Amino acid sequence: MGLYFGLNQRKLIQTKDLSIIYENKRIDFPDIDINQGNHFLILGRSGSGKTSFLNLIGGLSSPSGGQVKINNENIALLSSNKLDKFRGINIGFIFQTPHFIKSLNINDNLMLSQYFLGNIDQNHIDTLLEKVGLLNRKKDSLHELSEGEKQRVSIVRALINKPKIILADEPTSALDDYSCEVVIELLKNLSEENNSVLIIVTHDKRLKDKFKQFIDLDAF
Amino acid sequence: MLFKLAWKNIIKRPFSSGLSVLLLASSIMIILLAFLTMQQLESKFNENANKIDLVVGAKGSRLQLVLCNVFHVDNPTGNIKMKDVTFLSKHPFVRSSIPISLGDNYKSYRIVGTDKNFLKKLYITPFKQGKLFEKPYEVVLGFNAANKMGLKLGDSFYGSHGIDASLHEHQDAKYFVVGLLDYSGEVVDNLILTSLESVWQVHFEDHQKGSFDLSYEKKHDHHHHHQKTNVVEEDKEITALLVNYKSPRAKFSIPGIVNNKKQLMAAEPAIEIQRLLDLVQPAVKVIAVLAWFIFGLAFFSMLITLVNSMKSRKYEIAMMRASGASSKLVLISILTEGFLVALIGAFLGLILGHVIMEIMGLYLTNHYHYQFSGFIFNFFELWLLFGTLATGIISAFIPAISAYNMDISSTLKKKI
Repeated sequence: MGLYFGLNQRKLIQTKDLSIIYENKRIDFPDIDINQGNHFLILGRSGSGKTSFLNLIGGLSSPSGGQVKINNENIALLSSNKLDKFRGINIGFIFQTPHFIKSLNINDNLMLSQYFLGNIDQNHIDTLLEKVGLLNRKKDSLHELSEGEKQRVSIVRALINKPKIILADEPTSALDDYSCEVVIELLKNLSEENNSVLIIVTHDKRLKDKFKQFIDLDAF
Repeated sequence: MLFKLAWKNIIKRPFSSGLSVLLLASSIMIILLAFLTMQQLESKFNENANKIDLVVGAKGSRLQLVLCNVFHVDNPTGNIKMKDVTFLSKHPFVRSSIPISLGDNYKSYRIVGTDKNFLKKLYITPFKQGKLFEKPYEVVLGFNAANKMGLKLGDSFYGSHGIDASLHEHQDAKYFVVGLLDYSGEVVDNLILTSLESVWQVHFEDHQKGSFDLSYEKKHDHHHHHQKTNVVEEDKEITALLVNYKSPRAKFSIPGIVNNKKQLMAAEPAIEIQRLLDLVQPAVKVIAVLAWFIFGLAFFSMLITLVNSMKSRKYEIAMMRASGASSKLVLISILTEGFLVALIGAFLGLILGHVIMEIMGLYLTNHYHYQFSGFIFNFFELWLLFGTLATGIISAFIPAISAYNMDISSTLKKKI
């Protein structure tokens, strides 16, 4: 079984027969085949394994069976060091609860992510912060921000190294309607600008109307 | 950037980081203080002890004989007759023999009766002003003695009886300053030097007038019948004779010859000082053990601080990994924290150690009349610094390894 999006574009993400063993239970995932620039949702109730699916795609955990190819590269074959680097270059993550280095301010948190890949670019930080409306707060500490604002910063962080793929895990479920709207619009627009694949894993019904394409793990 | 991250993480928890730094600094300070004191004491002692091969004096404690006549810190063992030691100055193995006669002081600085060789052969010290003593009652002042007492060339003063400050002044023993010595860093800096004749004359005059003197009355009793300022050759006394050998063979023969005479005793400064230092060593070791104990506490404080901080930072670390930081980089960033805490602790400890040594040095200098300084640096400190830095890194290793092996996915999943 396969779900295919896009027609004449380059294949960016391909998964095949992915499965994990979770609490002695085997969970299988659908094969996906995603081209550059696609946006889509992965829906599912809690426990359906949607976060695990996202972590497998992002190489944060390894599957019990099957394989993930990104840019035609089987990420299971990368050494741990290379995988870290690969992830930094190709994938930006956004989590439900945004985690930052508490001891650093907003600007330094973003700069640290650039530092990991060895290209610090203050202009790029400023441009992105301006787009999410937080440029004047870049020297602030993160605990001074609201949840919605923090999530905006984590969008900037996910995009800071111009990755081809953005993986977002429940990015809006902790947010009120207004912030949800702002965050999801930013996420869509900025991914589009960067021509990145955007995959959002969620059970948030508010997002369903905003995306044309989705996979429902409950139906799989 | 890595340093900035480590630094910001350290100051984010000022109290626990501060405690680690403080413990580390205290232990290094104590180690350094014990080391500096012992090193300076040893070098001062050895420097002075090695100048003189043998001290000959009255029977008593050998250590006391050396401390009194070489270091000028203890009381004399008694007097010996000049004629009993003349054979030494003529002995073919002896290069020089310099007599010393103690008895008076001025404001606790000892007035030492001796001959010209004391400054010409033994403690070769340039004159800042003036000349060597010639006539009785002429004195030459050591650098510290002159400075502390505020005496200049041409000044005069009355000596007091005994070798420590006392109320009993010799009203007619008026000394004249004819020379001031330059700084030498040796024991001579704290002495007032005069001719043997001065000392002899003062004491004969004193006893003729029947002055009361506790420590010297008995010894000088038999001088009462002498003329006022004429000392009979037969009865000339000195406190000790400082002997230097011409030949190394002297070491095996001369002490024996001297000790066989019932009124004389020979002491080798190098041996006596080694014995003294051997006595002090264990006390210094106890202090060192205490310091290493505090050092151990510092190690655990650093370890616990980091382990605790890792617990609250595991999401941050998982996030760093997800943003492209390799596990190696995470490891290094945590080791850097341990390194920085150790670096601050080590520098603080070394600086405190030197400053406190300098302050304590003022007290020790006053007490021993020796120059103690806090601003002496030693190769040992580099070892101390590197050792501390290594300890800091080792203490960070356990938390760093746990971060290195962290499972990013499950860590991030735990908090929903």
